[in-house]
Amino acid sequence: MSAPIEIRGVTKHFRQSTGVFSPPRLVRAVDGVSLSMKAGGCFGIVGESGCGKSTLARLILGLHPVTDGDIAVDGKSLATMNRRERARLIQPVFQDPFSSLNPRRSIRDIVGLPLAAQGASGGEIDRKVAAMLERVGLRPDMAPRQPAQLSGGQRQRVAIARALVLGPRIVVCDEPTSALDVSVQAQIINLLNELRRDLGLTLVFISHNLAVVEHICDEVAVMYLGRVVEHAATDALFRAPAHPYTRALLASVLTPEPGLGIPDVGLGDHYPDPANVPPGCRFHPRCPIAAARCAVETPAPRMIGERRVECLLA
Amino acid sequence: MAGLLGVLIVAGVALMAVLAPWITPYDAFAQDLTMRMIPPAFMEGGRPDHLFGTDQLGRDYLSRLIYGARISMLIGVATVITSGLIGITLGMLGGFIGGRVDMVVMFIITCRLSIPLILVALAVVSLVGSSLTVVVMTLGLLLWERFAVVTRTTVMQVRTLDYVAAAWAAGCSRTHILLREVLPNIVHHLVVVATLEMAIAILLEAALSFLGLGVPPPLPSWGLMISEAKDYMFFSPWVIMVPGISLFVLVLGINFMGDALRDRLGASREA
Repeated sequence: MSAPIEIRGVTKHFRQSTGVFSPPRLVRAVDGVSLSMKAGGCFGIVGESGCGKSTLARLILGLHPVTDGDIAVDGKSLATMNRRERARLIQPVFQDPFSSLNPRRSIRDIVGLPLAAQGASGGEIDRKVAAMLERVGLRPDMAPRQPAQLSGGQRQRVAIARALVLGPRIVVCDEPTSALDVSVQAQIINLLNELRRDLGLTLVFISHNLAVVEHICDEVAVMYLGRVVEHAATDALFRAPAHPYTRALLASVLTPEPGLGIPDVGLGDHYPDPANVPPGCRFHPRCPIAAARCAVETPAPRMIGERRVECLLA
Repeated sequence: MAGLLGVLIVAGVALMAVLAPWITPYDAFAQDLTMRMIPPAFMEGGRPDHLFGTDQLGRDYLSRLIYGARISMLIGVATVITSGLIGITLGMLGGFIGGRVDMVVMFIITCRLSIPLILVALAVVSLVGSSLTVVVMTLGLLLWERFAVVTRTTVMQVRTLDYVAAAWAAGCSRTHILLREVLPNIVHHLVVVATLEMAIAILLEAALSFLGLGVPPPLPSWGLMISEAKDYMFFSPWVIMVPGISLFVLVLGINFMGDALRDRLGASREA
């Protein structure tokens, strides 16, 4: 199967101003990420807050220009596409359906926006919006309503309808369920999975909910401080994590038994700062198994069987 | 409640301004020296045919008040349109594009804030000579900074929201995003600024007229009426009270209306 998304050495640095008299800080949000995602699959990206997974999502959507590297879809670089071409190929579903829908426009206008941007006629928009609302499990007569009249789950369905109305190949979901009630999360996940199967979509699924990722994704990349530290098939990754950070991340999932408390994952109190990346292996200050050379040598990605790991000791 | 009162006041004054030539009982410019300084009808010595009395040249005060509403409303509306166009454009450029453009916009705003408003208005009017157009242009070119500051800040807040990102991803143009996604979501802030600016412009025109540099006589602006009446106020207090109270009531009404519009446009649609 061909790879529809090919990410090669993508880097995104932000300059953060710290005042008039001090030099700007360089925040390495994404720092040399290479991944390839299979068509028709669901690709998970996990990691803690600030690891660069949302920035990577925005880069794939073309919302930020890359500092370095290249993202290509079907062999064509995103940088060479115009905005309409890119919109037909890649669409987003954001985390919070309360801020991702314009409160001053009707559902019909919101879902029809990508069509309007392509220059579709009013009648065509009406027809396609009605069909798409039905497809995501909403009544077509909701079209004239305002977002404020809808529940969180309904709003997220509207966001999904907007993402799919152009018939894109790739949908980038940035934590699509974490702002929703637990009871609604499963419905939205199942809807996304069903649409992926029926429409042949490629899903890029960004989440810190590991249970959801395990359920829906075929492949998972674990990000830490702007880099992918482990990339493997979901089964392999969850069964036998190779990188110490992946192990810590999996261990941090709360167990259903009460009384055990919050698990101690052994990462210490250091919090990773993307403006101040440690030398050597960037995980070594928090790594439970770090050796002396981890502070000096930068690990190169290595293939261990089918998986790719960035660790000197794994 | 106050909102309704405000709308009624502003609508009443606006109606008066539009219908002035048809509803005035007398010619607002006709002098009658035998009928000078007649008190209003409800005061001692008043005559029923002059409801608000007459001024020092025997002109009917009610008629002048009605014509004065024309000048005040015209100045208020024209100033808001001029300053709104300048301020909203600058604020949107700075807030939306950011970076160097924003630095330039902030510099212009800071420059404007350090200009003493009344002094510049006085200087311009005394250089160019006073006319209605000059007063409107001067006020319009000076009163945009509140529009610019409010637009810039609110655009900065809105542009980071996910629905703007979704519009970018949908392939919308920059103009579309500014005018259809961002602007409708800051308009309730701008309405409040607009009413505030309108009130300030009306008061400033009155101040300029009082200083003799507003609209030229014999045009009956409310500020000019106060100015012309100040020599007579000790023996005939109504000549200053009638336009003064009118000015106060109109500005109060505009502010009430602004508050009500903000509540209505802002709060109700956001969940």
